[in-house]
Amino acid sequence: MTTAALTMDSVVVGRSARMRAVFEFLRVIGNSESTVLITGESGTGKEVTATLIHQSSRRKHHPFVAVSCALFSETLIESELFGHERGAFTGAIKDRPGRFELADGGTIFLDDIDDVPLSMQVKLLRVLQNRTVERLGGTRTVPVNVRIIAGSKRDLRQMVADGKFREDLFYRLNVLPVALPPLRERREDIPVLMEHFLERYFRRGGDDTPQVSDAVRQAFLRYSWPGNVRELENACERIAQTCNCGTVRVGCMSASIMFRAGSQPADPGVVTPLPAAPAAPVALDDRLRELESNLILWALKVSNGNKSKAAELLQIKRSTLGDRINRCGLGRETEHPSDAGVEHADAV
Amino acid sequence: MITKERVEAVLNRVRPFMQADGGDIELVALNGNSADVKLTGMCAGCPSAHMTLYLGVETALREEIPEFESLRLI
Repeated sequence: MTTAALTMDSVVVGRSARMRAVFEFLRVIGNSESTVLITGESGTGKEVTATLIHQSSRRKHHPFVAVSCALFSETLIESELFGHERGAFTGAIKDRPGRFELADGGTIFLDDIDDVPLSMQVKLLRVLQNRTVERLGGTRTVPVNVRIIAGSKRDLRQMVADGKFREDLFYRLNVLPVALPPLRERREDIPVLMEHFLERYFRRGGDDTPQVSDAVRQAFLRYSWPGNVRELENACERIAQTCNCGTVRVGCMSASIMFRAGSQPADPGVVTPLPAAPAAPVALDDRLRELESNLILWALKVSNGNKSKAAELLQIKRSTLGDRINRCGLGRETEHPSDAGVEHADAV
Repeated sequence: MITKERVEAVLNRVRPFMQADGGDIELVALNGNSADVKLTGMCAGCPSAHMTLYLGVETALREEIPEFESLRLI
């Protein structure tokens, strides 16, 4: 992961009220020294968030050490985090500082904290309370000056209730909680993120970002993105690698996106949720057009592309449907395949 | 034995997207438990699209129709 030049202003957030709320909070806690607990599904950007918190803190010129607690077995975690002295165990041929010591003066990001076994949790608790570590096989107590950020994909409160996570450690970690919403709960951010990643990956290949067809946009909007932003990023990378015809069309997408997006026609009207915060602005025209495109695509799908039948389903005239299709930019390529991709200037 | 209707039902899941993109997927023939389909329109000549649709359509067909054997893009 690249950590250079990541700032509150450079990171692409999107316009959803939920993400803006998250970022407002991150600005507030930037200068704090307190422990942060970031909760979010896989791929929602926990490490990016942790990096951002570090980069906007007073500790930004000191190390940022990210460690996944899921990577190591129980004994390895201990040696990784706290270090060991020569001869502490077979193969410990020299003294080795742990991640806590390496992060001295800076920030340590303990990702996948929910995967830390109970026996290890008590040791972490001690570090958090005393801000000292003891290397494996060592007798010295080493003071460490680190800010702690923990990441969890599961709800730690629930794990506490289930007896899988120590309550005292949970309270130690949960000082400044940051909850990252899954992408499917902030669908209005999908277009912005998509533009951003497409631009990044096309530029990496030395190309300008080509036009993106409305069908691809619709599929991206409808898909549920179980892998969240990471999956969206990978989908964009894939498109940048495979699309060479000048326009991104459905054929460039991963098949699973198209199929799963295509199998969710049940409630075509419910695509974008209402903003969570009552004061957040909503672009009514954009929302209505999105809703309109969704309903039209749904009707065309249900009627196998027969526009007369689709018009009946939508209770509008056949000619009106044609106008609406054009207005939503859904029809250009259907009507004039040879012109496809030429005019996309009015795409949202 | 697979039927045209069952195969079409699966194809219909992707059809709106393809049609919106100026393309289509046509069921040309059934051969026992296999099917031949043809891509038309915008994506017809694109190798990436062939890969996408070949994998996607075949996987979807096998999920929906357990006895489905193989898909041929012609």
